Amino acid sequence: MKLGVLFSGGKDSYLAMQMASEQHQVSCLLTINSSNKDSWMFHTPAIEWTKLQSESLGISQIIQKTEGIKDAELVDLLKLVKRAKNQYSIQGIVTGALASTYQSTRIQKICNDLGLWCFNPLWQLSQENLLRLLIDSEISSVITGIAAEPFDESWLGKEINSYTVDELLLYSKKYRINPAGEGGEFESLVIDSPMFEKKLEIISSKKHYSNFSGRLEIREAKLI
Amino acid sequence: MNILVISTCQEKLSENEFVLPITEIIKSYKFDIVDYTSVDSSIALNYDKIIICGTSLQDNDYLNFLENFKTLSSSNKPILGICSGFQIVCSMFDEEIIERQEIGMIDVKTEIDNPLIKGNFQAYNMHNFSVDKLNSFNVLARSNKTIQLISHKNLKIFGASFHPEVRNEQIITNFVLI
Repeated sequence: MKLGVLFSGGKDSYLAMQMASEQHQVSCLLTINSSNKDSWMFHTPAIEWTKLQSESLGISQIIQKTEGIKDAELVDLLKLVKRAKNQYSIQGIVTGALASTYQSTRIQKICNDLGLWCFNPLWQLSQENLLRLLIDSEISSVITGIAAEPFDESWLGKEINSYTVDELLLYSKKYRINPAGEGGEFESLVIDSPMFEKKLEIISSKKHYSNFSGRLEIREAKLI
Repeated sequence: MNILVISTCQEKLSENEFVLPITEIIKSYKFDIVDYTSVDSSIALNYDKIIICGTSLQDNDYLNFLENFKTLSSSNKPILGICSGFQIVCSMFDEEIIERQEIGMIDVKTEIDNPLIKGNFQAYNMHNFSVDKLNSFNVLARSNKTIQLISHKNLKIFGASFHPEVRNEQIITNFVLI
């Protein structure tokens, strides 16, 4: 089956894409570039660098801008999925949705209306199992946004590896956070994986941080 | 306790979404997952309970195998059908399936005391088909729009048109304990 992946460049949508590619042909990456940093639907930090990921994966990307206003952003998502269906003849959509019925309901409705299959291979996966699966799948990602205690400035740009996973699991008990960031505690960007032809290297970046909230502004990055 | 989990997914990738969340809930018990195309009269012999899982909204291939599922009704084993499994347990007793779509979290009211769930609750629905009038089943719970939870009048056969593995896991654990 030819599939399009709703792709933010973060660990969840990337992992969903990699799992889908083991059984189907991933024809395109669908990316929403939202100007609303607090969107409930779409992951926003470092979205501009998904172009390099698409290049390294050798998979075409379609980008749709949205102002990220509730409901209007769904119209933009519908436009994006329609474009993918028309341009790449996809038969289904893959998402990295884990637990949010808000997100999954809206995407399921769009797919159903367009006669497309909808695959959510991470659905209901526990936060710990998701982190373990990322490591087992040799997916390297860095933290590009934080929004919860106890994440201090040192977490911006930190790579999610087996050591970080242990730390996140400890934090989940002590601070009652979701260790894989499902509640928006942090955002990530995948920089390398077995499917990448070249690794994405961050050449220059700036940390913006205040009171357990921050983002990593990537100023320059390239494939090496 | 040995549970037979029947996947109704035509595409293996859908099993991550519709089967694995259920086996995660029952992982402390022994279970096997079998494909809907393998269902026959002998398949239930070595099991104590049967769960028939749901599948993707676009996936209707299981409808081609309804006759095979009818053999399960004489197995005398408790069965829980979820979403497409709900339609399958209804079809096992020749109930009429109708087109009726519900997608999302929906308020459900319990109408009859039952061993699976008590009171009102919110349920994650994702179906294009449902039932309207039932002959062999009692309606245990319903939303404003559809019948949501049913039990057979004489057998321990249940159906949930929603997905209890999302936010209502106790329905599955209660079924296992019946």
